[in-house]
Amino acid sequence: MQNAKDTFYVMLQSRLAALNPSRTIVVRGVVRPGTLVAENELPTGSVPVDVFRMEWTGLQVNSAASLPLVTMECSIVYCTDGTSGDGGMDRGRLLAGMDAELASALGAEPHTAQKMNYSAVGTGVAPIAMGTNVFWADPIFGAVTSMDERLARTSTVQVFAYQEAGEL
Amino acid sequence: MSDLGRSSSAARAADVLLRAMGGLKVMLRMPAPAVPADVTEQLGIATPTFQDLPLAPVVYRKARATIAAGVAAKCELLVSATAVEAIVGSLAFSSASVLLAAAYGILSGDELLEIVAVSEEQAFGKPYVYRLLLRAPLRQVV
Repeated sequence: MQNAKDTFYVMLQSRLAALNPSRTIVVRGVVRPGTLVAENELPTGSVPVDVFRMEWTGLQVNSAASLPLVTMECSIVYCTDGTSGDGGMDRGRLLAGMDAELASALGAEPHTAQKMNYSAVGTGVAPIAMGTNVFWADPIFGAVTSMDERLARTSTVQVFAYQEAGEL
Repeated sequence: MSDLGRSSSAARAADVLLRAMGGLKVMLRMPAPAVPADVTEQLGIATPTFQDLPLAPVVYRKARATIAAGVAAKCELLVSATAVEAIVGSLAFSSASVLLAAAYGILSGDELLEIVAVSEEQAFGKPYVYRLLLRAPLRQVV
């Protein structure tokens, strides 16, 4: 399951970065593409704006077949306050832009990626390609929530993968 | 006396008051900078190293933390602006707010408290004390 989560994150981050390279976040002094997995970062109460924050919220395992099919739900949370210099009046447009980027990244073909094992990755060591693919459904966009000047939306996407023998 | 002199006096007076009220020493836990383009950190495989920096004098605003059933305890820490500025200078941060935003938490005794919010008190345009709202670890919640 962890390999599928890692593969899906790397795929989504690279597709979103290709669509909008200027969407970035500074994490511990380093500029990164503006997509992160909340559970992989230091816990914090602050919510980063204008980036995509992924949370793994659901899990289902179907063991009927020889390879168990794992269905995971990924919630992608994003919010914006708008541009402060414009008084935040563009926050609706900025949120719509993030909606379009996410829909484009997840809707682009192919809807699959080869599952990779990143657990041994290090200096000069590449991830190991596994025997099955990770694939996903179209995202479901939740309702916009508004709190003061902040607009936020949570989109969910079902991610599927086969659990290979010996895989964590 | 100039404003600069007055603000320095306020910072010194705050330090004296903090020491008079107990003047504890805590450690500011700073994570090491992230490694550029390192996917292992983004995937939670590699974890950063931490550096603990002494912060003194500090005083808890109330002797007892704010507690409620099922919710992590919160407390407020008053921190000397002089101590914060010394760390800002030594680690070459651009400002105290950037330093405290980058910090992971406060190590007080054996307990690591997360920094939830930061505010500052100013005199003549210069901070003389920082107020940190801290949250206790969830494992202590009953």
